[in-house]
Amino acid sequence: MIGEKNYYLNIFQVDVPSLDKLISEALATGGGYADLYFENTTYGSLLLRDGAVTSGGNHIDFGVGVRVLSGEKTGYAYSESTAWEDMLSSARAAAQIASSQAEVSPYGTRNPSRGEPNPSADRYPIGQPWRGTPMSAFLPFLQKLEADVRSRDNRIVKVIVNLAFQVSDILMYNSQKELKWDTRPMGSVSLSAVFKQGDLTENKSTSRSFRCGAEMLSQELADEMASEIVKGIDDRFAAKRPKGGQMPVVMGAGASGILLHEAMGHAFEADFNRKGTSIFADKMGKQICPKGIQIIDDGTLRGNRGALNYDDEGIPGQKTYMVEDGVLTSYLHDRISATHYGVKPTGNGRRESFRYAPLPRMRATYMESGSAKAQDLIAEVSKGIFVDEFSNGQVQIGEGDFTFYVKSGYLIENGRLTQPVKDINIIGNGPQALADIRGVADDLAIDPGAWTCGKEQSVPVSCGIPTVLIGKLTVGGE
Amino acid sequence: MALARHCLAYAQERGAQKVRITLTKSLLNLVGVLNGEVDKTAHALDRSLQLQLFVQERFGSFSSNRLDKANLEAFIREAVETVKMLEADACRDLPARERVAKDAVTGQELGLYDAEYETLTAEKRREMALRSMAWPQEGLIAEEGEYSDSVFDSYTIDSQGLEARHTETSFEIGYESTVEDAEGNHFSSYWWDASPRLKNLGLEGCAARAYKRAMEQIGPKSVPSGQYTLILDSECASKVVTPLLNALGGYSLQQKNSFLADSLDKQLFPEGLTILDMPRTKGDTGCRLFDSEGVATREMPIIEKGVVKTYFLNTYISRKMEMEPTIEDATRVRVMPLGGCKTQQDVLDKVKDGILVTGFNGGNSNPATGNFSYGIEGFLIKDGKRVHPVREMLITGSFLTLWSQLVAVADDARPCLSKLVPTLAFKNVDFSA
Repeated sequence: MIGEKNYYLNIFQVDVPSLDKLISEALATGGGYADLYFENTTYGSLLLRDGAVTSGGNHIDFGVGVRVLSGEKTGYAYSESTAWEDMLSSARAAAQIASSQAEVSPYGTRNPSRGEPNPSADRYPIGQPWRGTPMSAFLPFLQKLEADVRSRDNRIVKVIVNLAFQVSDILMYNSQKELKWDTRPMGSVSLSAVFKQGDLTENKSTSRSFRCGAEMLSQELADEMASEIVKGIDDRFAAKRPKGGQMPVVMGAGASGILLHEAMGHAFEADFNRKGTSIFADKMGKQICPKGIQIIDDGTLRGNRGALNYDDEGIPGQKTYMVEDGVLTSYLHDRISATHYGVKPTGNGRRESFRYAPLPRMRATYMESGSAKAQDLIAEVSKGIFVDEFSNGQVQIGEGDFTFYVKSGYLIENGRLTQPVKDINIIGNGPQALADIRGVADDLAIDPGAWTCGKEQSVPVSCGIPTVLIGKLTVGGE
Repeated sequence: MALARHCLAYAQERGAQKVRITLTKSLLNLVGVLNGEVDKTAHALDRSLQLQLFVQERFGSFSSNRLDKANLEAFIREAVETVKMLEADACRDLPARERVAKDAVTGQELGLYDAEYETLTAEKRREMALRSMAWPQEGLIAEEGEYSDSVFDSYTIDSQGLEARHTETSFEIGYESTVEDAEGNHFSSYWWDASPRLKNLGLEGCAARAYKRAMEQIGPKSVPSGQYTLILDSECASKVVTPLLNALGGYSLQQKNSFLADSLDKQLFPEGLTILDMPRTKGDTGCRLFDSEGVATREMPIIEKGVVKTYFLNTYISRKMEMEPTIEDATRVRVMPLGGCKTQQDVLDKVKDGILVTGFNGGNSNPATGNFSYGIEGFLIKDGKRVHPVREMLITGSFLTLWSQLVAVADDARPCLSKLVPTLAFKNVDFSA
């Protein structure tokens, strides 16, 4: 949501002349660029456990971060108060970066944007506001969801439903006199269940997370989540560890987008390339995967967890093609790396809160659909594995080795899905895996789950992919 | 402290029967180094008030960093009303008075505050950050480091008379090196150290060690999938201990999402395995006199000669499970030596062949079944010596089986880690490559 300018100035009890004065103080020691990031976030949560909503709370986080750039070097400080003396103290602390350097190069970003935010271009309009709606209004959703889940499978012994929501008012100003503001909502529902079958215990979980208001708590959402939590539980009980080793892997549409996030997304974040550590540091303009493949990082998907009207440096949210027709065409930039490479920022400067300086980070990362059919890709594999449910992933930027943890999947034997498998880690090398993509189906799906990326700071992201066949990855097993 | 007492009284005035309040304050200074130059500085001051309210058998948890009186009073009024909307749960309560800490008065009883912190200047911090660097070196293409120091202070009171304070300083140095081989392949590694006292911080040689570890990664070779003896370096060995502690946690047990359900007083591990909690060792990283409820910590066995000796049960969960409360979580875990080994080399000499794991790359475990699968990197070991690096490998198994195959525990735990877990060795572990 994009409100009126004065709403934000009033929250933080500042005006533009005082912001200018603060910027001047931040640059007083010779810095080339400075920016201010004001944040007022309110969080709310409700937890249903053992059949009742017996825990909940609210949290407030308020403050301003001051960043000073001296060339590519960063000074950062923050204050949890917007009283003038507190902000001034932070500005002077951040300014020390310039005084600590022998050489100071001027910082420039092309085409400063002085236009005001446009409410009609808002990517996350709020139907029913989280703020101002009493918590009691949300209880029935949690209670109905729990009852619905329990009614679907008598093996369920425990259910937990967690509702978490937050609304952040953001005001940004910088030494190029760009003033931007935004109000970012986020609602997340997570559902987990424990099943008992004889002596065996299994758990399943699912989540939904969107930038929207409380209107997300609909009957439709409850039905969808309740259905998903019980789906495949018979296979989960029947699942076994496969025999480990290298094999073809078919990655199902949707959550398998974690492959893109780990195998290449992080390696394309320009700070790793600027420092020379990324395995893709010298690959710009080169063919890195088969022709016909487009890979995108997108901040424009309406209501998506990774959507942004502006990034955390005041750069407009946008859609960035990282790979076009198999060729690496763009890294993901913040202002520092964009200046380093002499390109426009891509709107990827993000931070966890006012306590952190921004870094190049992903938003919603996905691959466009291809022309194959998912069942044909499975049919191509004589002995391999199909995976479609994940929990977490990781990458080693220098080596390019990535992993992701598979909660469930199936063996592929002679082109057919056979034995269910679970709880295995898969490991591969980013450049090798991208070059080894054998087929892309026509079924792109963006996963609606509550993905969070933890590169130094936690930021909400999203991922998606069509069904994809990779020639060879290493699968954990017995 | 006066603010905390005012908030407690105000919450009771507004209708809360019982209240717990924690005020925290932390100050951090950081200097980052990139390729031999200062690359970033950061200065951070955080203050927060956490509020737990018990209203008409209902419970809520709240926090705010807007600490002016008017804002806090409005926040507390709203918080009390919010709690009233929740469903009742008779198990919610403050801990019994006799269980809370009474010896955490000044916050400095554990000797975790170093007054040298107060003497540090911006110039000194930059000097320490740069002193450790190894840049430039042959093959080194990027070297990033960080020096940081912080002071943390917390003050907890409740409406039953609890008053407990904890103060500590922390000093940290860490470096990451990326090197390139003759074919242009990149290899990276890190090293770090931390201490509550500046004089004990391993500044010297930190970056050199990161560089050495990165260079040792060059030239990895494949080894076939199969069963090998797993030797876990003390830097990363807590990876197989933490899931045991989580499985003994009250929330996992009460939600029937633990592979150690109904394990109390049972011999589920080999007789040689003893894990202690030593939360009151003066001067040790991570030690605490009380948990977040204010309950006094105590030294106790977690697993003794293979027998599970405790669950971690706070007031709420203990009531839900109708068991005696213990402590919320393990504080300063120590895995005791086994097999007469002191150093990692003693372990390698004992097992002779296997794979030494020096780092993990992703992976996870299933809390309900104890099954795990992790990416690893390390070295093939023959006759007690490193042969060549290995990577892009996975270990897979279940924790109960893994621990039943324990053959050695050294005595080389790193004191900077919150869990004192030395080099461990397990036989017959499944590796995939």
